[in-house]
Order: sequence, then structure tokens, then C-alpha cells
Amino acid sequence: MDVDTGNMTQTNLVDKVVVPGDVVLDLTKMENQTIKLGSGLRQDCDYISVMQAGKLRLSKPNKYWVESSQKRYVHRLEDTVLGIVVEHRSDNFLVDIKAPNLAFLPVLAFEGGTRRNIPKFETGTLIYARVVKANGIMNPELSCTDASGKAAEFGQLKNGYMFETSTGLARMLLSSPTCPVLEALGKKISFETAVGLNGRVWVNASSPDDVILVSNAIMRSEFLSGTQQRIMAEKLLERLQKS
Amino acid sequence: MEDRTDGRNANQLRPLGCSRNILNRAHGSARWSQGNTIVLAAVYGPKSGTKKGENPEKASFEVIWKPKTGQIGKQEREYEMILKRTLQSICLVNVHPNTTTSVIVQVVGDDGSLLPCAINASCAALVDAGIPMKHLAVSISCGLMEEGSIILDLTKSEEEKLKAFAYLVFPNSPLSVIDKVHSSKEEPIEHGIITSVSYGAMPVSGYFDCLERGRAASAAISEFLRRSLQKQSSDDASRAAQ
Repeated sequence: MDVDTGNMTQTNLVDKVVVPGDVVLDLTKMENQTIKLGSGLRQDCDYISVMQAGKLRLSKPNKYWVESSQKRYVHRLEDTVLGIVVEHRSDNFLVDIKAPNLAFLPVLAFEGGTRRNIPKFETGTLIYARVVKANGIMNPELSCTDASGKAAEFGQLKNGYMFETSTGLARMLLSSPTCPVLEALGKKISFETAVGLNGRVWVNASSPDDVILVSNAIMRSEFLSGTQQRIMAEKLLERLQKS
Repeated sequence: MEDRTDGRNANQLRPLGCSRNILNRAHGSARWSQGNTIVLAAVYGPKSGTKKGENPEKASFEVIWKPKTGQIGKQEREYEMILKRTLQSICLVNVHPNTTTSVIVQVVGDDGSLLPCAINASCAALVDAGIPMKHLAVSISCGLMEEGSIILDLTKSEEEKLKAFAYLVFPNSPLSVIDKVHSSKEEPIEHGIITSVSYGAMPVSGYFDCLERGRAASAAISEFLRRSLQKQSSDDASRAAQ
């Protein structure tokens, strides 16, 4: 019986909005369990307390995290991000990824990269890359290859239009099944997009009209539900007589 | 107990208002109003690098106070210093070392209790920006009348008339899954105090009375802050659908 009430109190804050300072887990009541903490939670002696305001989520059996949406990004391992090249040093590019520190992109971290064919990225180039080293204190490191060394769509993004969003919207665009707004737009227009988990989205299509339409639809869809997104996308398409 | 000019009783606060994410370019922003005192706070950061005198192993904060009119003088510098130390003690400074977070406070209306309003606004803006914090801070002003009674949330005319008053900042009351029985041997967190600024001379007993009343009222403000943080997500949904 004690275990039951203990379990109930442990999880009664899940899926509720929590603010910094709230205590969500009491470790003294949970023995011999491994708990994985995601973003927004920290361990304070025997308690797990909240660092950032947001919704507390639990992925059974033992992963807890706080879901929140910000304009800035905190770098995490294996995230795909869109960065803007700020400077070119001798052995890496300095890339801005909206994180507290600038990221390093080694000059050789490309498919088939050798000292002889170093890509020439000027300041302001948009790069789609993957975070390979991220311990909170040092500058994160990026790479333009996937785990096996192939290019896999990473690298410079040419043409198109990039806009900034919140991290929450970026996560929603990348969720599976496909985000409703992208699905509704994809039925009538052909376009390509790259979404960075750091809150940057790049859109490219054959005509500027399409690029503007897709970008506006994405920007407006942040707080809408699935059906509302579909209705909004269809209204936009109708206005431009694409249907 | 004499009547206050705006008809409130001694323990009544002015109507509170809080809206977040109002500035497009700022990474976090909030507007806090207590009656006619309105303050707008914007947070930028964390950005890399610290200033010369700061410890690079911790995150540092920089506060800029912009008054409604007039030039920046000693009073503004004092407010900046108090705000900076308050924010440093509620934020977790070891999460992003060697970074600077800038907080810019703009006074939109001043009708007394300016510093508490600014502290509440900055705290809400920091939450909006996602800066890691230990807990929230709620702030209130308490004044001591001649006969020893306490009034809360002073207006400008009351501040000018009173002999002594204090601005107090308390931690908010957290939601917790720990049984209250289990932890009754420790003081609950809301019994702590973060900042206290007093003006004028008051007897020690008067000061402790101010603390008691202020702490009791801070529970109400803490509840309001929590509700406004929760309401935000559903608000955005109705706002964006227009």
C-alpha cells in the first residue's frame, strides 16, 4: 500500500505545467531504479527539481523531461541543426547555432574531406550539420557527415529562404507522423525544407511565391492543432488559387 | 486604521497583470503591472563571454535599468545592483559558465513599489527565456505606519508620506511531491528571504512584522505567477488562431 501511494505521488505532476523550484521526484522513495533525466530537470540531493518552466513529460519506464519552447537553443548530442558560418579559422569554421557558445565545424568533417579539398564557406553561409560533441561547458562541435562518414544531405544549403522559429515549433515540424501543415502543403506544392532543432527552418521551392507561402504557413502553425493547421494551409492555398 | 487613498485595506494588493513573450527580438520578455506601476523586462542570452571583473566559472548577469524619463543616475545604478544580486541568487550559475545574460528593465509607469514590480517582471522574463533557475522570486513592498500597523503594496504618495518602508523578495512556494509530513523538520522553502531593502528608520519589531505580512502576501503573488505561467500556452493557441 505504501508503495502504491508512493507511486501515485511520484507521477501526479506528469503532463502538468511546472515552474522552476517544483519538486517532481523524491529519490528516497525510489530505490534500485535508474531514472533518466532530460532537459529542464536537475538533481538536488535527494530530490529532482525543475529548472525551466514547461510541461513535465514521462516516457515509460523511466525517462523524465520538461517540454518547453524557447528562442535560444541548448546544444545536445546528435541534434541536427542549421548554423551560420561566422568565421574561418585554420582548422575549423566557427558556426553560430543560437546556443550560448559558438560551435566549431572541423574543416575535414565532410565526406571525402582532405586537406586539399577544404570547402570555401564565406561568412554567412547556411550549413545543415549534426552535433557530435556537446558537453555543456565547452564549445560544441559539429560535423557534416552522418555516423558512417557519408554526406547524407548535410552541408551547405543553397538558395531558398531561412527563417527563425522557436525550438518547440522545430520539434513539432520534425515529429512523426508528418506534421499536418507540411502534409497539407505537400499535397499541392512541391518544396524542400530543412529543419534545425535549434529553431531555424530553411525552405526552397521552384518559385518565390511558393517559398513565401510555405514559410508563412509554417510560421503561423505554431500554436494550432492538427485540424486547424490543415484548414489554415488550405485557406492559404485557395487564396493563391493553387487548388 | 485610516483609509488608504485608493480605498484598499491594509492587506490588499493592487490588481496584478503579467504578460510574457511580448517582444519579438528579445529571447525572453515580460510586462508586469501592479496598479499603475508598469515595468517591461527583456532578457537576452545566454551569450558567450563574460565581462572583465566577473568569474568565468559562473554565468554572469548584466542589468540595465532604463527610467521612464530623465537621465540615468545613482538611483538607477542602485536598482541595477540590487536586481543583479537578486537574479544571481535565484538562477543556477553553474549550468552555462562563461556566459553573460543581459536583463534590460524599462519603466513604463511609476506609481510606487517600482523595485518589487521590476523584480517580478525580470523573474517572469527569465522564465520566458528558459534560463535555468532554482526557484522563482516574488517581491512586495511593505510600509510601517506611525501607529505600528503595516500596509502592503505602496503607491507613490504612500511611500512619500510614510516614515519607513521596505521592499522584500521571497522565494515562491513550490509544488512538491514530497509529503509535507516527511519534511516537516525542515523549514519550507518559502520561509527564506532573498532580498530586503529598507528605507527610513523602523523598530526591529516593526521590521519583523513587515516580514510576516510580506511573506503571507507573497503566497498570493506566487499563486498568480504560477497561474499566468500555466495560462500562457492556452493563450497562445487562441491568439494565433486569429
